[in-house]
Amino acid sequence: MTGPRGLARRLASGDRTAYWFVLPYAVFFCAFVAYPLLFSLILVFHRWNIVTPMEWIGLRNFDRLIGDGLFYRSLLNTLTFLVIHIPLQAAVALALALLLNTGIRGRGFFRALYFLPVVVSGVAVTILWQQLYSFDNGVLNGILRAAGLGPVPWLVDPSMAMPSIAIMATWKNVGIYIVLFLVGLQNIPRELYEAASLDGAHPVAQFRHITLPMLNPTIVVIVVLSTIGGFSLFIEPYVMTGGGPMQSTLSGMLYIYNQAFSFDHMGYAATLGFVYALVILAVVMLQRRVIDTELTP
Amino acid sequence: MDVTPRLARRGALLCILLVAWGCGPRPGTGPRAASGIELTYWPAPNPQEIQLADTLVRIWNALHPDIHVAMQPIPVSISTEEVLLAAIAGKTTPDVCSNILPAALHDYMQAGGLVRLDEFPDFDSAMASRTPRELMEQFRAGDGHFYQVPWKTNPVMMFLNRRLLREAGVDSVPATYGEYLAAGARVLAHPWPGGAGSIWLGERDVRPLWWQRLFDFFPFYIAATGGRTLFSAGKATFDDSAATGVLEFFRACYGRGYFPHTYFSGGDPFLLEKKATHFSGPWEVAAIRKFAPQLDFEVAPIPVPDGHHGPVYTYGDYKNISIFSTTAHPREAWAFVRFLVEARHDLLLLSICDQIPVRGDLLANPLFAQYFRDNPAMVQFAHQALYTRSTDAVPDLKEIFDAIAQEYEACAVYGRVAAPLALRDAVRRSDMIMEWDR
Repeated sequence: MTGPRGLARRLASGDRTAYWFVLPYAVFFCAFVAYPLLFSLILVFHRWNIVTPMEWIGLRNFDRLIGDGLFYRSLLNTLTFLVIHIPLQAAVALALALLLNTGIRGRGFFRALYFLPVVVSGVAVTILWQQLYSFDNGVLNGILRAAGLGPVPWLVDPSMAMPSIAIMATWKNVGIYIVLFLVGLQNIPRELYEAASLDGAHPVAQFRHITLPMLNPTIVVIVVLSTIGGFSLFIEPYVMTGGGPMQSTLSGMLYIYNQAFSFDHMGYAATLGFVYALVILAVVMLQRRVIDTELTP
Repeated sequence: MDVTPRLARRGALLCILLVAWGCGPRPGTGPRAASGIELTYWPAPNPQEIQLADTLVRIWNALHPDIHVAMQPIPVSISTEEVLLAAIAGKTTPDVCSNILPAALHDYMQAGGLVRLDEFPDFDSAMASRTPRELMEQFRAGDGHFYQVPWKTNPVMMFLNRRLLREAGVDSVPATYGEYLAAGARVLAHPWPGGAGSIWLGERDVRPLWWQRLFDFFPFYIAATGGRTLFSAGKATFDDSAATGVLEFFRACYGRGYFPHTYFSGGDPFLLEKKATHFSGPWEVAAIRKFAPQLDFEVAPIPVPDGHHGPVYTYGDYKNISIFSTTAHPREAWAFVRFLVEARHDLLLLSICDQIPVRGDLLANPLFAQYFRDNPAMVQFAHQALYTRSTDAVPDLKEIFDAIAQEYEACAVYGRVAAPLALRDAVRRSDMIMEWDR
């Protein structure tokens, strides 16, 4: 058994090399994870604008949050984004992964091509899509006009703006999920398909009864990662719309950013951050339960 | 012998010396005062104001060899207010600063950063000789005292492109909402060579940016109420008929197609002669002079509700002077502030910066006559300067303006929310912010 005395003895002995190896991460963890987390927990009970001393205000940040319409609006916007983005992302990624998992020519090229947006800067991609979506002189509306159709208010209509951002985010991130699906697909034993074929199962039935259930762990990972990524939605609305029109693209992260860095409300921003973290935890737990129940054979 | 600790000690000593040297006064600010009185003065960091400050400091240092003033532009950051708050926290504020936004005064006072100016025995007489009482009163702080000297104002007024309006058949300056909207109908109906949508009556930034409302909703509200601002006795009171009228006016401008819903990113559409009217301050005159000298323009007060009587007030966009409590020489700092606002130095402010000093005798004092003869476009601003209002000195004004900007967008730009409802929501949010701030 290793008690404190045993640990001290081991530290005192020459067996300290491993601790030195762990030290860089321990320092990193303390500086960039543990300390900020602890500090933001303290901030939750304070009003602080960075430059003047902190003021203890008890639970008033929570009191404000409960009555803050913009908090609920940002939460609703984020959930709207997730509802569009996650299924779209999963479906597109799965479809492309199935395609790339076949023996098509130029498979390596297409895999690299789909992954390219993932490694391009988010701001650069967003500015590019801003040009595509522009109402008056955007490329997409130019094509629509040339085809004799009317322009679409991609980013200037409150009901269109968030779906437009979800489409863009899907294009940007789909590459990484294609890779995850490809890993999942290549781990499915071929024998299962061979046996199903011998039993007369057509490709759709094979997909439904073999591929999907076998991809369940991958789907769980993708949905969880997409959810966490979706709750982090920031660059796209920040650069493209500033949260408008009519706050329809004000995401949770953008609202936290505005409170912290536009209005210098560090304590309130920390409170919003904590509540969002709890919401993410609840949503992810719910998703895991639902996916496990529905897809497990 | 192990030399590492010694090297480390030497390195640390060198660092301390470098930091100490870096925090010292900047070179090139003239000879030092023999008696050792040193004042630091921070002007705004734009080229014109740096030139003005440099000129004024040179004159002061020549006249006062015993009190040396070192000029250093405010360090460039996102905003002056951020820099000053950081400086207050670090106790590194200058003795005097001439870029004080009245709206930020509350934060500076709360941080204990400012010297009370009305404790100087000659404060009242100095102010009375320069600034009309009515203008002065709006700068009285919540505790009943003065912490700032009103220095300059940039009244928001209406610029008109005379050529475009003439071509559209608008012969007189639209002074009321009704006249302005009638002008809009003419501009919209005119067959412009570039086709429909090439020329607009006006344009405002459609993005819900809080500071953009300082150039539409806020001055129009001040004008419609005959000089009232958003708060009364610390309470938001702008959910009234005047504010409803302002929102409905802008809603009509967008709804009837007189203003575009597009954000122009290719330059100032007024300078590009794509819009016939523009709401801006005197800096626009310098921009026209520089970038569009051919533009045939005039300046007029912003439109008011039909049937409005009395003078037309507007937002003044003030920048004032304050003394920070870190000063070791408050009396000398006050003498320097008085020097900055002398009439001949106000003339320098006009001629170097094209900005309006907050003084009542601009058009009566012969000292300024030549300037206004040379710059006739500035005469309107000098007239207007007497009818200006600042922002309210309440905490979190930025977020309150953000709340107004959101409702302005929903009501005026997109026409989705009725004006009274939009104002009710904006006031509710303002109340919530104010309550949280208490």
